[in-house]
Amino acid sequence: MKSDEQLVEEAKHGSEAAFTELVTRYQQKLLRFLVARSASRADAEDAVQDTFVNAYRYLDSYRPAWRFSTWLYRIAIRNAARQAMPATEEIGEQADPEADPLADCVEQSERRNLWLIAKRDLSADAFTALWLRYAEDMSVKEVAVALNRPVSWTKVTLFRSRNVMARALEAEDRIGRQGDVYGQAGT
Amino acid sequence: MDKLEHELKQDAARIRADVTPELRARIEASLRAARLDRRESRDVRPGSYFWWFSGLTGVAATLLVVALLNRAGDPDTVAPDAPPANVVVVRGDTVDVRLVPLDVRNADFTEPLEDELEKLKSDLEKARDEVERDIRFSF
Repeated sequence: MKSDEQLVEEAKHGSEAAFTELVTRYQQKLLRFLVARSASRADAEDAVQDTFVNAYRYLDSYRPAWRFSTWLYRIAIRNAARQAMPATEEIGEQADPEADPLADCVEQSERRNLWLIAKRDLSADAFTALWLRYAEDMSVKEVAVALNRPVSWTKVTLFRSRNVMARALEAEDRIGRQGDVYGQAGT
Repeated sequence: MDKLEHELKQDAARIRADVTPELRARIEASLRAARLDRRESRDVRPGSYFWWFSGLTGVAATLLVVALLNRAGDPDTVAPDAPPANVVVVRGDTVDVRLVPLDVRNADFTEPLEDELEKLKSDLEKARDEVERDIRFSF
């Protein structure tokens, strides 16, 4: 299987099939990331579309110093930021948690999805840094490049975000244990 | 990988993000349009010969302007006599001394100073006349 960078080179030389292959590889990953980040599914789909179009238009400016995925996510982040996205606080203040488009997209499980909590409690950039690091397995340097931020900022943000999420996970576990106790007491 | 990382990864995978056929069709349509734009812009983009010819035209125009300016010299300016400058060329053991005629012209920088000198001269004349008149009255 060809690497992303090989496909980009072929696409630069006019191969439409190579770019189509890149779209196939990344469309779902990008959509998942943008659904988690955007205000609505429609916004996320628009951002995915714009990301691929911009990537195609500016393909000649891609330099293989960084991975193609880093470059693509950088474009996606810019597109998502350009959209009229309500502030994270507004999302957190929504009375009905089901109003969050991410809530519609997460499968029902025993506890709340951590990304719902992250979206509510973290800034957009902190959320993105956390996503790229742990959901996309990017290195800290790659996260910094994708966000166009210094590495030091990225490290501090990841550290603080991890603390916030660790506390949230602990709280979720506690609620889960209490539920178990009440459930057992009820039987 | 600690528990938090594991949970974050699992929860990310739990988010449903299926690419619908409509979205796929939208992406393909916009890429088709972008490809057309790219092809058109490549067709319109001038070749390397264009830049060579445009560069040569610019150089030729500059040379023409310089030549015209040199031919149409200022008829009012008169070159004063200036001694030719000596140029010494050393070739091995021999020394050649050549004379290079210099094209020297008057500069207009001194004109205001000359006016000032004339004014001072006339002031001096007036002052001398007044002094002579005073001497005549007193003796």
